[in-house]
Amino acid sequence: MIANVPARRRELSAAVLAVMAVGLSPVAAIAHGAHVQARTSTAVQIEATYDSGEPMAEATVEVYAPDDPQTPVFSGSTDDAGRYTFVPTAPGNWEIAVRQAGHGDIAVVPVEADGAIASTFANDSGLSLTQRIVIAGAVTWGCVGTALFFWRRGK
Amino acid sequence: MHIPDGILPAPVCAAGYAIAGGVTWAALRQINRTAASPAEVPKAALLAAAFFVGSSLSLPIPPVSVHLMLTGLLGALLNWYAWPAILIGLLLQAILLGHGGLTTLGVNAVMAGVPALLAGQLFRLRHRLAKALSPRAALGIFSFLAGALGVGLTALIFFGLVVFTMPSTFDPATEQNLLTAFMVAHIPLVFLEGLFTALLCFFLLRVKPDLLK
Repeated sequence: MIANVPARRRELSAAVLAVMAVGLSPVAAIAHGAHVQARTSTAVQIEATYDSGEPMAEATVEVYAPDDPQTPVFSGSTDDAGRYTFVPTAPGNWEIAVRQAGHGDIAVVPVEADGAIASTFANDSGLSLTQRIVIAGAVTWGCVGTALFFWRRGK
Repeated sequence: MHIPDGILPAPVCAAGYAIAGGVTWAALRQINRTAASPAEVPKAALLAAAFFVGSSLSLPIPPVSVHLMLTGLLGALLNWYAWPAILIGLLLQAILLGHGGLTTLGVNAVMAGVPALLAGQLFRLRHRLAKALSPRAALGIFSFLAGALGVGLTALIFFGLVVFTMPSTFDPATEQNLLTAFMVAHIPLVFLEGLFTALLCFFLLRVKPDLLK
């Protein structure tokens, strides 16, 4: 933009010169005006991490709108902290697929009419270490039990 | 080395289930035909537990983290029983830990189970070479190779599947750099699992040699 300013000024002065010389109205010069407006809107930020808690940096993100689960509306990649932000344009269930080198996940975010995430939505942060240990212990015990059962029967 | 839901296109998942179904039939037929000795079932159950726990623990090998697979070990010690043990382990991991996924269960079973069965066949080749080498040396070499083959082949199948099903919207360069880093991190694991399988076989040879038949 800044680099364009001298060029535009030159064009403008050329137009002014033309007006002075020929006496035409400066309609062509008005079309070069640009406006930037600002407004606040609600965006959705996702954060992708691996099981180990490490962020999924530079992972590919594809965002699917509620009405079309086939073609992504937005696509990009996460930042170094594994985050990606988008502004949903319609209410409904937005699907966000994050993947990197064959690893990844799909999150479904319910968006309400005002663009906010539905209050019923709960972030699933996966299992805690204690939960993992309990599950692993339960499965191991199940297998040992099976082994003991067949071992006794075999005797 | 588990492919989660949503990564592979539906036809690949369906093909995975089809192949896994076929192998399950073949494995159960083989188990039935050999009139399996009752001692095999407890062994399979214990090794299924080892597989479940081993492949849930991640080892950091920078820049990525990998996990033990133990598929070569299961193949060597269980032969055809390795397939049901791996299938059950993967099912429980998908349901309880969210590791892998139900749509990709077939693909994951083929990816882990077929190398295990091949490792089992490779391990049985040691009897052919037991006369040329000493039986101990043959056991050491073939148990190492079986352990290494299990991980190596699984990693290659993973790599192939991910590369050939990569969506065209992806930037292939970044994705392949990461995949390469991921594959390189598995080279130490290949040696580690080979070594672990060999050590465990020597241990079993000393304490309970009939488990190695």
